[in-house]
Amino acid sequence: MKSSRRTRVVGAFAVIVAIAAFASLTAGGAGAGEQSPFALPRGDTLYTSGKQWGPYTNFNPLRPDYNTGLVGLLYETLFRYDPLKDKFLPWLATSGTWQGKNFVVTMRKGVSWNDGKPMTAADVKFTFETGKLAGSQYSTMWKTGLKKITTRGNVVTFHFGGVPNYQEWDSNMYSIPIVPRHVWSKYSAKEITAGNTSQRSKQVGTGPFTYGAGANSSQTLQWNRRNGWWATKAFGMKLPMRYIVDIHNTSNTASLQNFLQNKIDLSNNFFPGIEKQVGGKIGTYYTKAPFMLSANTAWLIPNTKKAPLSDKNFRRALAMSINIAQIVKAGYGNIVAKANPTGLAPQWSKWVDQAQVKKLGFKYNVAGAKSLLAANGYRDTNGDGYVENKDGSQIDLRIIVPNGWSDWMTAIGIIANSTKAAGIKLTPAFPDFNALVEERNSGKFDLVINNDKAFGSTPYVYYDYLFRLPVADQQTSVNFSRFTSAGSRPWALTTKMNKIKSTDVVRAKRVHSQIQRYILTELPAIPLWYNGMWAQWNKSYWTNFPTASSKGLQNTPSTWNGYLNMTGIDALADLKKTSK
Amino acid sequence: MATVEPPVESLAGEPVAAEATAPRRRFGYELLYFALRNRKLVVGLSVVLALLVLAIVGPWLTDADPFEFGYPIGEPPSRDYWLGTTSAGQDVYAQFVYGLRSSFIVGALSAAIASLIAMTIGFVSGYRGGIIDEILGMLTNVVLVLPTLAVLIVFAAYLSVGSLVAEAVLIGVTLWPWAARAIRAQTFSLASREFVSLARLSGAGSTRIIVREIAPNMSSYLFLVFILLFGGGVLTAATLDFLGLGPAQVMSLGQMMYTAVYSSALQLGMWWWFIPPGLGITAIVGGLYITNVGLDEVFNPRLRER
Amino acid sequence: MSRYFARKIAIYLLTFFVAVTIDFAIPRLMPGDPIDGLIARFQADPTASEELHGYFTESFGLDQPLWEQYLTFWRGLLQGDLGPSIAYIGSSVSELIWAALPYTLALLVPAIVLSYIAGNRVGALAARRKSLDNTVLPAAYILSATPYMWLALVLAYVLAFKLGWFPVSGAYDFSLQPAWTWEFVRSFLSHWFLPFLTLFLVAFGGWAIGMRNLIIYELEADYANYLRSLGAPGRLVRRYAYGNAVLPQMTGLALALGAVVAGALVTEIVFGYPGIGSLILTAIQNRDYFLLQGIFLLIIVGVLIANFIVDIAYVIVDPRTRTGLQGS
Repeated sequence: MKSSRRTRVVGAFAVIVAIAAFASLTAGGAGAGEQSPFALPRGDTLYTSGKQWGPYTNFNPLRPDYNTGLVGLLYETLFRYDPLKDKFLPWLATSGTWQGKNFVVTMRKGVSWNDGKPMTAADVKFTFETGKLAGSQYSTMWKTGLKKITTRGNVVTFHFGGVPNYQEWDSNMYSIPIVPRHVWSKYSAKEITAGNTSQRSKQVGTGPFTYGAGANSSQTLQWNRRNGWWATKAFGMKLPMRYIVDIHNTSNTASLQNFLQNKIDLSNNFFPGIEKQVGGKIGTYYTKAPFMLSANTAWLIPNTKKAPLSDKNFRRALAMSINIAQIVKAGYGNIVAKANPTGLAPQWSKWVDQAQVKKLGFKYNVAGAKSLLAANGYRDTNGDGYVENKDGSQIDLRIIVPNGWSDWMTAIGIIANSTKAAGIKLTPAFPDFNALVEERNSGKFDLVINNDKAFGSTPYVYYDYLFRLPVADQQTSVNFSRFTSAGSRPWALTTKMNKIKSTDVVRAKRVHSQIQRYILTELPAIPLWYNGMWAQWNKSYWTNFPTASSKGLQNTPSTWNGYLNMTGIDALADLKKTSK
Repeated sequence: MATVEPPVESLAGEPVAAEATAPRRRFGYELLYFALRNRKLVVGLSVVLALLVLAIVGPWLTDADPFEFGYPIGEPPSRDYWLGTTSAGQDVYAQFVYGLRSSFIVGALSAAIASLIAMTIGFVSGYRGGIIDEILGMLTNVVLVLPTLAVLIVFAAYLSVGSLVAEAVLIGVTLWPWAARAIRAQTFSLASREFVSLARLSGAGSTRIIVREIAPNMSSYLFLVFILLFGGGVLTAATLDFLGLGPAQVMSLGQMMYTAVYSSALQLGMWWWFIPPGLGITAIVGGLYITNVGLDEVFNPRLRER
Repeated sequence: MSRYFARKIAIYLLTFFVAVTIDFAIPRLMPGDPIDGLIARFQADPTASEELHGYFTESFGLDQPLWEQYLTFWRGLLQGDLGPSIAYIGSSVSELIWAALPYTLALLVPAIVLSYIAGNRVGALAARRKSLDNTVLPAAYILSATPYMWLALVLAYVLAFKLGWFPVSGAYDFSLQPAWTWEFVRSFLSHWFLPFLTLFLVAFGGWAIGMRNLIIYELEADYANYLRSLGAPGRLVRRYAYGNAVLPQMTGLALALGAVVAGALVTEIVFGYPGIGSLILTAIQNRDYFLLQGIFLLIIVGVLIANFIVDIAYVIVDPRTRTGLQGS
């Protein structure tokens, strides 16, 4: 009978396809057969999530967007940096000192790669020299003073011509991961700067973990603890978990559900609403607002080449009319903190001239904004509730954030609502990320929110971000606001700052104060809030996470790139299994 | 009279080879009589009309703006906030009724556009036949095979849909193929009827024949096609909005679900935020489909209550 | 019959060519330079940015004139090379697609097949039993009107989050790696069930309705009445009716493929299922030309092949096409 024959044909086809699907799953797609297919022991495994939004393809630590944990668990850096104490911690290096124009690093003895070979000064030289390759993200140092590197025994000397950029160099010391020369010298230049270096047998690092499973998978990446880690002998440091499994995010909702169901231990996701869950088995760094440490500043960037944003008084009035507190409360549920008018992070407060901030910094004051506008010729001449330009033309500024960045989308909604009260008309829009980047880089935008620069060892990064000159047709990573109206002085001060050692406190503070004055009075960008170092944990299987209140536990609880080589590794080492 | 099945989401079959409808003179009262008796039609239409009324009148009952912040955060439904508030302090009721408006507008517009395209292509194909039919057929096949949503995603993401009209145009331009095929099939069979030959003999041009003789005889069928396109348009728009690709400045039901999901409304148990919008869409589209079935029965005596 | 197939193949080839050209053109219609976005994500040093920009543009071949890119595209296509990914540098598009495809197929194929069979059966049953009809029909209409992602959300909320009977997301348990073990298979199936159920239910509704209407139509047709007046048993009449109704349903199957793929896409996103759906979104957000092209190509080829298979099945089922008397 026709239909049953058809049914059989179709059914057979379905079965064949299903089998084929299964087969390809195990054979090709998801990185099969490397590790034991049986489940990992729950109590010995730390499950993390939040950082990885794509498949685990990038095993190259010299490229920016490497897989979670690659630097910190597998590869390590010369020093680590504790942002909460502002201290450099010797790691692969035991010391680093300036001797005239040379920076001399002494490498630690007894460190070996996970394939057994010893780490030497030659590895360091090799790693830093990859910065000379076209396309490397570490090329700046070779263009701004570093001339050559020499080694003798386990001492590496970096030779500079002219006064070195001390601040930038400090950053490099804890950011650049050291790779093994005996493996990497076989890679082509293109592989080093743009490849994945993902071959299983070539995952050779000095860190406490080795590659376990999950390359190219869209589900998880597994790290296995190894024996023979140098820090166990040097510091008695031992990591309590045998496996670390990072889980790829498909959506925040899915991650939150898994987190609440005890499947994720340490989550670095951004979970709006998490503040309602804190307590009991859920923990965060602070037990009350802002719950999270601060990670970077979200700035409202005005295009200072376009009227009326070219008028610093208008910018100030705009800043005064934004109800940041409402963004923090309604937009984020208090898991972020309002930013200092200089935009500098809490951990840099020792460099902030607080007296100057009190005197010159902007505050939320709608009435004040209104009178400032009026005093500068911005009046509502047609009675529509919004002020017009001095020449009478309408003011309607387009404020943009990338489509899909929901919390920012909410934020600019709140901003537009609040500036209404002072008479400034803002229209929110949500172009797609790449379209936004083009609008921003080419200087076509009016207002955009940006938080590209993360906190690190020096505020120099932020000054550079705000003031770098010259301004080109395309501004691709700094000075999006195209700020030039204060002349070359701010940038000159910034470059001066770069050439001051952080140990030279008196001189540094003076220059900091001068630069901050420009930020406060000129407002090249308006600092809004500090984005959080998102971190929440589920204490069902592991406890003793970082917390503000317990001594010795003030560490950076994040698996996002750059944090494990701060004090993230300490955070992991301090964890304890719950008695279950 | 062919049965017109809901396409797109529901995957039902293409209309069966057509039989011409009865001359339109008899429609009038006989239709109305059966229409009022047909339970499906009454129920379906009531649901759709009720929601339409809500979409029109609802916003007048509140002075809240769907995008406005400042209300208490995360409140369940109460006397002050009929559908509660979102986790950013927005009024869900306001969002819901404005969203309903958007759904109706996009649905109607995209259906209109798709119908226009489908009729043009379907009529010309079915009436002219021959090489024109082949070419238009190829065109239809190509657009048919291209997976609608995938194409829409690409277009919407790259062209940054800024208004409901833009969204409707985008959707209308991809939703027409099944309708064109259906209309073509119907036109085919009608074109061989005597009254058409008569018209041709009297010297009328093709366009005139199509507009004066064929289309009016298919009017009920066309109406059904329109209803199904309407439903399809609402669903497609909801999906686009849910992916964050719809016009962001205009509140829509899909956008409500999008925002609710990323704000973890599920985990925080804020059912009042994500249940109403999906329910609204299901009600509109379901109502339309059931109305379609009822109308089909009314127009085609064969399907009436057996 | 050979004419029937020849015609079909010609259509498919033409469709393929046009679709490929459109596929090539669409990703390039957007505003925004993908390399700019890529570098912005890197947050590279400004002096490095410009070098990087030139470097990447060249290595992706985006600095070639459009027609040259088009030719390169065809060449690569015929060799099976879909190019490198921009979003996931270092990986090739075929690698990424190959990794994601099994998951999508594992959802799509059973969902389509089972919903088709079940929907047809239930629809046919409802067509003859009024009592069944009164419950099945409204339910089926509501199901077919339900947006996929809302049903997915509801199922995830009720069955996974509240009741905990199924996992919330992912393709298999986090502590496992894919392998032919009972443990893995069990985990895979429990993660697979809810997204499958979502696709199944909505599609089922549509098929049931379609079949029910077609059967009713057939049962009222002249030949059916004639048979009944001759005293033929109900079962015989139903058999013929079913056989005739199957034809348009099959055509409907081919038509519906595009719609189910769309549904699978959204469902995958809700459940975090690592298939083609999630890959498409990432490709779009990153303006990854090559990945987008690869995926669209895959979908087009897949749908064309499926269409062709249905055409073959149609020929088997409908003898008239073999003699060239009729055909869709």
